[in-house]
Amino acid sequence: MEKGGLNIIMFSGSADKLIPLGVLSQTAANLGVPVRIFVTGWAMLAFKKGGPTSVNRVTKEFEDLAPVLMKGMAEMKAPSWYDMLKTAKEIGDVKIYACSLMAEALKMKNKSDYDPIVDDIVGAATFMQMAAGGQVIFI
Amino acid sequence: MAVINVDSRGSACPGPVTDLVRAYKKANNGDIIELLATDSGIKADAKAWCERTGNELLGIEESNGEYKVRILIKSKK
Repeated sequence: MEKGGLNIIMFSGSADKLIPLGVLSQTAANLGVPVRIFVTGWAMLAFKKGGPTSVNRVTKEFEDLAPVLMKGMAEMKAPSWYDMLKTAKEIGDVKIYACSLMAEALKMKNKSDYDPIVDDIVGAATFMQMAAGGQVIFI
Repeated sequence: MAVINVDSRGSACPGPVTDLVRAYKKANNGDIIELLATDSGIKADAKAWCERTGNELLGIEESNGEYKVRILIKSKK
């Protein structure tokens, strides 16, 4: 597997913070940069089976502005974060991994507990090894 | 040596570059991709994409909020 590239630790599971995950992943794929996403914390819920379509929480301190943002995105016909991730995987080298610790804590230990966009369940050491030498972003 | 037309008008960032990448995957060296877009980000993004992928930005024309980006494909292996 190619090392380096863009490595994203997705911790937040809120709808507004999933947007940059989609944009950065699709952009990296556009540029031919490999992407590895490590899903952990609250983001686990967005990637569980049925999760992508049921994310509706937003960052608490911007709660009042969320409807404005979501309406603006809808008016632009901007794709959802999930569609952006699907596009990224279609055109580039993009892999999504769920955190094995959180998988155990949240009773999501089987691959079938996740949306099919998730490639595997791995430990943090595996992710760090993949990310070595590349850029790491925490969302 | 074909000219490939891509209409990405109405698509927001990063959609236009993805449309460009889809066309690039089918293109051959010597082809020119002509991309139409309305997202103003394409001006800087087309340049960044060309620098990253080793293709040549021939020019960007702007009129009435539309951008016509011309790229010479030369990095296909």
